[in-house]
Amino acid sequence: MKKIFNILMIASIIVISFSCKKSDEFLNTKPLGEYSEIDFWSEPGLVETYVNGMYRNALGFPFALERLSSYVDESHFTHDWGVTDFNKSLFTSDDLLGWSVSWATPQTLNLTWAPLYSNVRSTNIFFSKINSVKADKSTIDKLKGEVYFLRAWTYFNLTNLYGGVPIITKAYTLNDDLLASRNTYEECINFIVGQIDSSLMNLSDTYPTDGHISKGAAMAFKSRVLLYAASDLHNPAKNSSVTSGFSNPELLGYKSGDVTARWTAAKNAAKAVIDLGKYSLYKAVPASGDSVAQNISEFFLSYGTSEDILLHFFTPKVNEDWDGYNPGLFESPNGYHGWSCNTPIGELVDDYEMKDGSKFDWNNPTEKENPYNKRDARFYATILYEGVKWRDRPGDALVMDPYSKIQVGHVFDQAGNIIKSGLDTRQGPIEDWNGGYTGYYLRKYIDPSVNALYVKQDIPFKHIRYAEILLNYAEACIELNQDAEARSYINMIRTRAGQPNLSASLTGDALRKAYRHERRIEFAFEDHRFWDVRRWLIGNTAYSQTSKIDVRYVTSNTSVTSYRQPNGSTWSKPVFSKIDVPGDARAWDKKMYFFPIMRDEMNKNNKLIQNPGY
Amino acid sequence: MKKMFRLMRGRQKNAHLRKIWMTMKLTIILFFLAISQIMAMETYSQSTRLSLNLKSVAVKDVLDKIEEKSEFVFLYNSKLINVDRTVSVDFENQKISEILDKLFQKTDVVYTVVDRQIVLTNKADQAGFLGLANGQQANKVSGKVTDVSGISLPGVSVVVKGTNNGIVTDVNGLYSLPNVPTNATLRFSFVGMKTQEIIIGSQTAINVVLVDESIGIEEVVAIGYGTQKKVTSTGSIVSTRGEQLKQSPTTNLTSNLIGRLPGLTAITTSSEPGNDGAILRIRGSNTLGDNSPLIIVDGIANRALGSIEPADIENITVLKDASAAIYGSQAANGVILVTTRRGLTGKPKITIGMDAGFNQPSRIPKMSDAAQYATMLNENAYYSNPVGGRNQKFTSDDIQKFADGSDPWGHPNTDWFKEVLKTWSNQNHETFSISGGTSDLKYFLSLGARYEDGFYKNSANNYKQYDFRSNIDGKINKYISIGFNLAGREELRSNLVRPGVDNPSSVWRSLLHSKPNMPAYWPDGTPGPDIEQGDNPAVTTTSVTGTNINKTYVLESNLNTTILIPWVSGLSITGNASFDKSFEFDKKFAKPWYLYSWDGNADHITTPGKRGYDTPQLSENMSDGQKITLNAYVTYEKAFAEKHNIKVMAGTERRTGKIDIFSAFRKNYISSAIDQLFAGAADQYMSNDGSASEYAYLSYFGRVNYDFSKKYLLEFVWREDGSYMFPQGKRFGFFPGISAGWRISEESFWKNKLSFFNDFKIRGSWGQTGNDRIAEYQYLASYAFLKDRVYVFGATDSKIAFETKVPNPNVTWEVANQINLGFDANMLNNKLSVSADYFNNLRTQILIRRNASIPSAAGFTLPPENIGKVRNAGFEGVIAYHAKAGFLDFDLSINGSYSKNEIVFWDETPGVPDYQQSTGRPIGSSLYYQAIGIFKDQAAVDAYPHWAGARPGDIIFKDVNNDKVIDGLDRVMDEKNSMPRFVGGFMINLKYKQFDMAALIQGAAGAQQYVVSESGDVGNYYKDFADKRWTPENINAAYPRSYNRADQYWIGQANTFWLRSTNYVRLKNFELGYSLPSTLNNALGIDHFRIYVNGLNLFTVDKCKVIDPEVATGDGQSYPLQRVVNIGLTLTF
Repeated sequence: MKKIFNILMIASIIVISFSCKKSDEFLNTKPLGEYSEIDFWSEPGLVETYVNGMYRNALGFPFALERLSSYVDESHFTHDWGVTDFNKSLFTSDDLLGWSVSWATPQTLNLTWAPLYSNVRSTNIFFSKINSVKADKSTIDKLKGEVYFLRAWTYFNLTNLYGGVPIITKAYTLNDDLLASRNTYEECINFIVGQIDSSLMNLSDTYPTDGHISKGAAMAFKSRVLLYAASDLHNPAKNSSVTSGFSNPELLGYKSGDVTARWTAAKNAAKAVIDLGKYSLYKAVPASGDSVAQNISEFFLSYGTSEDILLHFFTPKVNEDWDGYNPGLFESPNGYHGWSCNTPIGELVDDYEMKDGSKFDWNNPTEKENPYNKRDARFYATILYEGVKWRDRPGDALVMDPYSKIQVGHVFDQAGNIIKSGLDTRQGPIEDWNGGYTGYYLRKYIDPSVNALYVKQDIPFKHIRYAEILLNYAEACIELNQDAEARSYINMIRTRAGQPNLSASLTGDALRKAYRHERRIEFAFEDHRFWDVRRWLIGNTAYSQTSKIDVRYVTSNTSVTSYRQPNGSTWSKPVFSKIDVPGDARAWDKKMYFFPIMRDEMNKNNKLIQNPGY
Repeated sequence: MKKMFRLMRGRQKNAHLRKIWMTMKLTIILFFLAISQIMAMETYSQSTRLSLNLKSVAVKDVLDKIEEKSEFVFLYNSKLINVDRTVSVDFENQKISEILDKLFQKTDVVYTVVDRQIVLTNKADQAGFLGLANGQQANKVSGKVTDVSGISLPGVSVVVKGTNNGIVTDVNGLYSLPNVPTNATLRFSFVGMKTQEIIIGSQTAINVVLVDESIGIEEVVAIGYGTQKKVTSTGSIVSTRGEQLKQSPTTNLTSNLIGRLPGLTAITTSSEPGNDGAILRIRGSNTLGDNSPLIIVDGIANRALGSIEPADIENITVLKDASAAIYGSQAANGVILVTTRRGLTGKPKITIGMDAGFNQPSRIPKMSDAAQYATMLNENAYYSNPVGGRNQKFTSDDIQKFADGSDPWGHPNTDWFKEVLKTWSNQNHETFSISGGTSDLKYFLSLGARYEDGFYKNSANNYKQYDFRSNIDGKINKYISIGFNLAGREELRSNLVRPGVDNPSSVWRSLLHSKPNMPAYWPDGTPGPDIEQGDNPAVTTTSVTGTNINKTYVLESNLNTTILIPWVSGLSITGNASFDKSFEFDKKFAKPWYLYSWDGNADHITTPGKRGYDTPQLSENMSDGQKITLNAYVTYEKAFAEKHNIKVMAGTERRTGKIDIFSAFRKNYISSAIDQLFAGAADQYMSNDGSASEYAYLSYFGRVNYDFSKKYLLEFVWREDGSYMFPQGKRFGFFPGISAGWRISEESFWKNKLSFFNDFKIRGSWGQTGNDRIAEYQYLASYAFLKDRVYVFGATDSKIAFETKVPNPNVTWEVANQINLGFDANMLNNKLSVSADYFNNLRTQILIRRNASIPSAAGFTLPPENIGKVRNAGFEGVIAYHAKAGFLDFDLSINGSYSKNEIVFWDETPGVPDYQQSTGRPIGSSLYYQAIGIFKDQAAVDAYPHWAGARPGDIIFKDVNNDKVIDGLDRVMDEKNSMPRFVGGFMINLKYKQFDMAALIQGAAGAQQYVVSESGDVGNYYKDFADKRWTPENINAAYPRSYNRADQYWIGQANTFWLRSTNYVRLKNFELGYSLPSTLNNALGIDHFRIYVNGLNLFTVDKCKVIDPEVATGDGQSYPLQRVVNIGLTLTF
């Protein structure tokens, strides 16, 4: 007995000496890298950083490696990664192919169901907590205004991709019923517009150009939403080819209603922005000595002008690896040690008018002989093409091309053998496997003053600019048969671009065609075309075999040491011809107008209805 | 109290030593000798002082009292020595010699002290002492006692069994006992060695070889907070000795464990110097979460295993079943206990080891040459544009030039692996240790150094390690002993500076990408162009691109004490205080380098171009970590009524840890001459960062052992663990383990019938252990900043915060329910031992996310919840045979383990067809399309459902659900993964006279790898693929047509075509050694000298071919395993 007592005594001494503090207290550690929920939602500064996250998730990754332009008839994605198959309409509810390659495609990956709903949740959490944050009313209102906008923006992406989607405004917890059914398209648009209106009520009358949401941005966004909603894709009178056989057309568009009222609403929304008098086109009327191409180039390299309504800024400091943004590196030709990611296709290049407003035509011998002569100024500001001077090549390449002019052709001997390939081809001496296929490279938004090999450019992306409002207005006018009004607004854009006004005889369908052409050219590589092609129901014409440029120089020499003669002149006059991009035979299936809800998600939620064709 | 003889294998110093010293680094030796002198100056008998105060007692009682108070032991024949004489003694702090002089003054008794043994003899019979009883006839018996390697053993006790008569062997291991009765039995005993009994009969000369105890059933195993005799342990426990681990010439200890222990799987992922730790799994995978076992080094949890010096290791023990419950919440994946060597009583013993080795990749893939590669690129162009013909990229003239090498400038044919890798790289390894001591102070001190170079020519990649260990045991008095362990090391990693993807291993991706039609170096010797981003691996594997070093300093200390409670026999208290510290310093200085391009000019003038970085840049990263472990436990051991043995241990432990991290970055250095932060530009790119984390655990644990006559064994262990990871009120978990054993061999019926069994035990266990290797603070709703990301407003970079998780207020441990059944048998005089185990583990409360059934429209990622269940069952066994035939001494041992797990429950998405479900299948199963051949022509394509756009030469996917469409529903869940189900090893140790040989043949089966290369315009093809590919001319090919990266559905979609079995058998290890004979040793004045050659991964049989079958990833884009050939020597004196 005594021994047992001894044991117990010693044991208790040990236990007591070890637990001078209450045991649970000893285990009370705190995460040193995270804020607790309570700390977080009591500090407006922290809440602001949370809203910053929503900015990022909503506005996405426009300068990613794989860009939206390569999913439509603007560019070709050099490295494939399943983009080609996507453009052949091969995606299914199991696999979005290139769209969802997780390690390389932040832009498109962000434009899918789960990440968009994740951002929806962020907005919902914000609204469930913001009223308890102690801060000035003006601070709270500003944050609310921004988040209403970002929620609308996120839902707009969802409806553009899927049609009507479940409208969720609650920050779910573990115990909630999580199965929600899809709202109709109309309900979604009404919800989005409502959110924008709430945003407008909370935002003050300032117009920051630093990337924050302004009242003007919200109004401009409303114009876009109403324009899309009024479009053919959602118009029951026009979209039967898409909805036929589908039992729930209300998920894809309006079921009935007054299309004129919708176009009118779109027109009014655009007009409201115009009437603000706050925005104007950058160098709207070129001065006499101006190079128009130069004007446009500098506009896209600017950090904000009177034309910019919503900008998305970047910083060279952050090292966002190679899946972030680094357009200089991503888009530069391989002859600059670039990666040639999204290269303009021949169809886009051909769509640039001649300077005099006429169509470019390969059958016109003069134009074929010198296809890059006297074209729309926007061509020169957007596309890099054979022989054009670009920024100085990096050291090793500079030796091979001291003139730093784009080389996408080949030098042939008399027998027809290639004896020298351009630096920017897939047969070139520098990283040939990074060479583009189309013979063109992207210039728009690429900052030539930065050596992209080492430094990230920080040019902002323009989510909304005033030119869009003018064209949105014009489109609504066309659909409301107000052709003259439409022409005058389209002409504002053409004037700035140095192109002649549209002929006053252009009306109806012809005017609509001219308008759509103008929009394609003006907004190339600005993430409009992908959506425009869909809402205009022109997938059939936009997705087909793409073309590239074939450039040949023929010399009597049997071998040459450089692509150009030492004096800089070419070995012969170039011979241009338009040929197919191998393997890029795009094809359209009408199912592509809407994305599939993934099979997994369908399985998880039996209340969901799948889009047609999947 | 039971007395123990102390090991004393050290030899006296000898004049010949001087010769040896000449070859040594004098400074180190002298330094250590100085220490050893201080510690070993006095022998036990000289240093021990005793106090005695006894009145009117028998001499016998005095002797008993001395034995009790000290480690001395008396040997005498009570018939000859009068020990019943009554005396009174009063000594205060006297030496033993003084006491004995006094005690026996004026008698005939003389004494001889050999270390702790005191032999009492009669002056009248100085030559020896009589063992006569009952007037039997008696002989003089003499001989020599040695160990298995022939080294003579001084101090061995030689006693006539059943008497106190005996003697100890002298310094040469010799003994001589006069007057031993003819029918007597001699008992030879020595601590650490197996006791031998020999019936002398009429023999007069008996030489005895004593073997190490650990070979036999007296083996003691570590079990956590104590040790246990293997023979009475009831858990599933295996162990290996440090000796064996030294046979592998690897630089990371974890890879030495491969194939040696049943139930332990070690998979090497990479042999990159300094980053070559193997993945360790005990009994395969048990959970969907973290499967790594708990590592305990000298009683302290979560110390690094890989960097321990193998020569410092006494043994490694693995707890595989519920016996691990003593470690509670971290024990579910098994526990690996490492015990380092400690000093043994005796003269200083110095051991020096030196190894010099050469390593090379165990396998590098054979790649296509330039001509074949060019031909395949032509095929790709042809497939995407058939009208262009077969020579769209390269003319047949080009291909001819690639093949014949006639134009090295324009048409190179580069073997990149040959250009970048050395044939052999160096490695070396040195150890120095000194150990010894007295019974009051024992020490083991060691120094180690190792170096390993990378595979690359002019490699910027290498690893250096310097370590020391000092284990000191002291005895303050009879009741209090202390131990102080201090170990430290410096790990110096020199890594590559890689452009773009900043992963040192990515050079292997580059190597696979490298194109044979591009030069590594131009014929004029200047480096050729890059693959991308300045990456020409022939250049970026060297220090031209900068330096990238990682220095890690670790200091591990532990002070422990054991107090025997004087007034309760069998009760002791042990306390440990451990403080571990680690510092890490990373410094990467990246600078521009130059690659040369040639524009085709006739003069062959190449032009440099700056690559990688525009200007030098530096990033530094420092971290300071610490870990404090405090524990104390009481142990009580008692036998009741002779047969009921009970042992109880209970204790408590608390652990805390913290790490602080600080980093800084600058770029735009004007010059690369100084690589310090101050020299970088103070511009917008300059930055710094910091963070910290901490943890705390509190535990109460215990163990009760009960046995009846060492026959029926019972053990109960438990741990009550509290962890900071969980919400208040839910922090403590209870983890019990119970096991029982029955030594049937102790039953009389068994003894009578099956006497060739020395020991046979069956045992079983059940227990619940926990796994808390989960993400911390899952119960807290929290927000954090997105690392390295900002949102930019104008020119202002603004932080981004996000909701880190949805909290789970109920988060708790994973629980492992473990059942184990096994037996241990020793047969044929302990020559043959067999041990086998069956286990069945059910892991419950695995944290998994229920996202599979939660719509993503909910917008959140559900927190992991404790709902997953995995069953893992299997068996393992080991058969060992040890025997001696003439001069041949051999050990054979074969072990094997099989385990198969199955997901019992996890969150399966509803509607998934059976053949695609994970439930019921092993962890790591994946969905694959079923490749059933190659479409040989268009007719074949038309005849079978196919992927949209399929064409001849493509892989045929099976229409699994027969719906005539190939889509996601045709994928089937494949049960194999990269973790082998069966692993085994066959070890041979032979010794013949002075030669010894050891081999480990090791194998694994049941795993597979997905082996596909990123090829096409982006890089080269495996030759294996290229040779067997489909072409329009070879339509019956086994492999599909040439492809361009992921442009074909059968590359982009995971399918079974690319799976390769990684079953293999390999000669993992081979060693051949020669030791100098003892005669020569004596002449040289050394104890032991051995030279050896050994090797690692020498020979492999497998079908995997392209990559090493043992490696854990199939893409070949990581640093491969190594083959090592090594020579070395060990010298002991």
